[in-house]
Amino acid sequence: MEQVLFRHNHPDRMVSLEEYRLEGGFEAWAKAVRAMSPDEVQQAVIDSGLRGRGGAGFPTGKKWSFVPRDLPGPRYLICNCDEMEPGTYKDRVLLEKNPYLLVEGMALAAYALQVNHAFIFIRRGYEQAAHNLRQAIDEARRAGLLGSNILAGGFSLELDLHQSAGRYICGEETALMNALEGLRANPRAKPPFPAIKGLWGQPTVVNNVETLANIPAIIERGPAWWKGLAAIPEAAGTKLFCISGHVQKTECIELPLGITLGEIIDGPCGGMRPGSSFKACIPGGASTPYFTSDHWQVAMDFDAVAKAGSRLGTGGIVVFDQNTCMVGATLNLIRFFARESCGWCTPCREGLPFVQHILERIEDGLGRPEDIDILREHVQRLNYAFCALAPGAMGPVEGLLRLFGDELDEHIAKGKCPFKGSRSH
Amino acid sequence: MPKLIIDTIAVEVPEGTNVLEAARSVGIVIPHFCWHPALGKAGACRVCAVKILEGTPKGVQMSCMLPAQDGMVVSTGDEEAVALRRSVIEWLMINHPHDCPVCDEGGECQLQDFTIAGGHSIRRYDGRKRTYINQYLGPYIEHEMNRCIQCYRCARFYQEYAGGTDFGTMGRAAMIYFGRQQDGQLESPFSGNLVDICPTGVFTDKTARFRARYWDYDMAPSVCPHCSLGCNTIPAARYRELLKVMARRNDAINGWFICDRGRFSNAAVNTPERPRQPLVDGQEVDWNKALDTLAERLQKFLEIHGPESLAIVGSPRMSMEGNIMAARLRDFLKAGTLSYFEDTELNRRTLEATGRLTRDTSASLADVRGADLVAIIGCDPSEQSPMMALAIRQAWRKGARVFRVESGRSEAGDTGISPLYESSHADSVASLPLAEAARPVLICGTNEAGLEALQITPPAKFAFLLNGPNAFGCAELAAEQGAASLAEALAAGTIKGVVAFETDLADDLPDNIQVLATADWRATALVERAEIVLPTTAWVEMDGTFINNEGRAQRFKQVMHPGLPIKGLTPELHPPHGFRKTAPGSEPTPAWQWIELLMSRMGAQSLDAPLSGHWERLKQLDPEQGGLSVLHERN
Repeated sequence: MEQVLFRHNHPDRMVSLEEYRLEGGFEAWAKAVRAMSPDEVQQAVIDSGLRGRGGAGFPTGKKWSFVPRDLPGPRYLICNCDEMEPGTYKDRVLLEKNPYLLVEGMALAAYALQVNHAFIFIRRGYEQAAHNLRQAIDEARRAGLLGSNILAGGFSLELDLHQSAGRYICGEETALMNALEGLRANPRAKPPFPAIKGLWGQPTVVNNVETLANIPAIIERGPAWWKGLAAIPEAAGTKLFCISGHVQKTECIELPLGITLGEIIDGPCGGMRPGSSFKACIPGGASTPYFTSDHWQVAMDFDAVAKAGSRLGTGGIVVFDQNTCMVGATLNLIRFFARESCGWCTPCREGLPFVQHILERIEDGLGRPEDIDILREHVQRLNYAFCALAPGAMGPVEGLLRLFGDELDEHIAKGKCPFKGSRSH
Repeated sequence: MPKLIIDTIAVEVPEGTNVLEAARSVGIVIPHFCWHPALGKAGACRVCAVKILEGTPKGVQMSCMLPAQDGMVVSTGDEEAVALRRSVIEWLMINHPHDCPVCDEGGECQLQDFTIAGGHSIRRYDGRKRTYINQYLGPYIEHEMNRCIQCYRCARFYQEYAGGTDFGTMGRAAMIYFGRQQDGQLESPFSGNLVDICPTGVFTDKTARFRARYWDYDMAPSVCPHCSLGCNTIPAARYRELLKVMARRNDAINGWFICDRGRFSNAAVNTPERPRQPLVDGQEVDWNKALDTLAERLQKFLEIHGPESLAIVGSPRMSMEGNIMAARLRDFLKAGTLSYFEDTELNRRTLEATGRLTRDTSASLADVRGADLVAIIGCDPSEQSPMMALAIRQAWRKGARVFRVESGRSEAGDTGISPLYESSHADSVASLPLAEAARPVLICGTNEAGLEALQITPPAKFAFLLNGPNAFGCAELAAEQGAASLAEALAAGTIKGVVAFETDLADDLPDNIQVLATADWRATALVERAEIVLPTTAWVEMDGTFINNEGRAQRFKQVMHPGLPIKGLTPELHPPHGFRKTAPGSEPTPAWQWIELLMSRMGAQSLDAPLSGHWERLKQLDPEQGGLSVLHERN
């Protein structure tokens, strides 16, 4: 299978700048900055069908096109590397293996957007990735690939790395901008949208690491070629999937978008662990509703997964076997989200702990039939939170109610968790 | 002007009005906590949900976040919106301690009102409530974080609106904390507004703690007497004791807020040292006796020294009514001197400044907030009139340029611990880039620099910081009545005796001057010295009129009856067992009434009410209608 993001990777170490360049690295950047107009770069990205890899899957080229080119003052590009979605670790692997790909991708994006100052906002825990990035930025600057008048093409770009103080909400793009400005990481009201008024009130684009890392290949090999990497015609390009849970092999792998769930688990994951059978999985990171064996044949692409009632999200697949208590699994996720709420709006700040309390009650055998109604109510009403954190957090709860109602009822009827004591992992 | 329909009522509102305000304009109250007119939208509490039936975006929306648009159809009673509002209240009530019976906010609590209005009564959450450790925030404000509903109003006000840096938001998720890094008195001179702005009982007025419920208060619309700006207030009293002061909205002046001086400097009203009984030569007498003695001694004084040796002294801290009557007393006794200002220069400058202001050139605090250039000339707003500094900050926040012309005392205010605005230095008024500004306001002290600034050609507006809540009124009267400064009259050597009303004459009033009488509610040095003391009512114990620094006459209403606070009575008298017609310590009478009584005692016939003749137009002043300018529309 053709790889774009992991093409240059070495199993045991980070690729060097020399190796990356020998294998064609920064050629797309040189080509763009010398021979392409910013509009041509943007058009290539639009044509490629690249969709945001950070979770929402918004078409990247379209996002760029919202940025007005005639406003006075600077524009900014931010790379969102605040990867904190449980089950997701693709950006870390990518940056630990090859930070140059991101540097080149950001340079191309900055060129398309005519941004002269770009930022990488990286999660506090990603020390190695930050170290690698710092090195890559330094080397690129020394090689004349960043800085002023890059490759004599007349374009200048400064790239700054910002290590986050750390919080899940910093992954929300407007909260991220607040954090970058030194304010509390609370999301901002939209409108105005970041494309119009973002960082320090200027037009700003926020893209995920993996999104940006795809751009060199799109420019180098052309959008049509890149698009064709997908397994199905509706999809475009490859995707990093992060597999964890009860499978043989848990790792981050680059696969064509549109490959089925079953193909991923039985293929590169080597199937379930001995004694385990597939019960369910989180298909795209902690905020996505569960898939069951009914979804085995679903093509892992944005639209297909959405059609099947979940979201492709970040591609973080967490697999559960037959001994997993889905109430317990959901509770685990809700604890994370309740803790990571920024505390700005009432539904998220107070609603998530309420949901957590109800799930704890059920899991501890103290559940009551009316608790199901409370959960249902929250699935609906947390949609009215200020940002997408609370609605996302309710994804697994929605899945639990829809797919594992029997399991919930059993907890309540028996007055205990039917899986207690039987957990084999 | 978008036209929309809210619950079948057609509404037309100015562009940019949000749906919540549009609904309010036709009397539909949508519950809200985080939204505040002065702080704007936050979208945090989610309780103002409505359903948009027509228009974009459709569906359940937060009415505070959504600008009213033409053709919009809004339902506030929609089932889905009501359900969400109900959920929000339930969420907020999960951790709220329900300690209303021991909470000072009980009865004046927005959370209580909206919780009851929404019908929330059954608790479904049976877990533990979160609790916090409260902080000592100084002697004025009590902190009770357990009651907090995280609307963020306090932090938004304190940091954004008022520029404070020692208080803010900490923590995250369900552990949000509003407080300081460590215990300690709040540094902002506007900290008391936290009490008003908190929709529940996190911040309460410590000075009035556990004293009364909202429905127990004696309250009336009033005006702050602590500087010349005339901020609108609501003093609250009970049992003849002034308990606390709250801000009263006036968009032209103070907006929604007042400064801490205005809020917390009112102990003088209740103090035991306050003169409450008429005194003759240090002996307590009844008011008849006091007036008889005064009339007698005045008569004698006039016979011996002649009327030209008598000075009648009014004061910028006395109401218009008192000062008008002081002039009438002068006329009646043909006294040689009428004085409203002690200092000669201050007298001249105040008259000159107020005399040259017109309706077009006098700046209200609203004008300052809306200015695009502010110049501070020879004064220190933070020190003299903090609300002026707060108004300058609002202009600065909206992008106005702020200049300090000359140094003076202004440095302290500009470089203090919590700077309210950034300012740059300008050498002179002439060097200000006034031509580049559309709405410049010059803020001046009552000094030569301020008067020089007045020379510049409009369209600039001016705001003078005067000395006293009725300094403007006194200046008008002084001009009208030909009053001189007391110092000038003293220097001329003609004065042998004074009758003073609510004045703070300097301690060094020469020994050879006979202080025949002083009428005051404050225990001043003059009260110690006067032969006859007539106790007057404080501003909260009477109706009256002040004219603020911009020439706006404002009526303040009687809040409470004068009298010894029940708390202040001796144990023998409490609980009161005796039967009496008047409350103890209730002799204080408004200064203007003392004058009227004195004049009729001395034979004056058919006395007009103070606000008559030239001042008749102030009679119909409505304390809740924003006041009335006494300025002419002249250039």
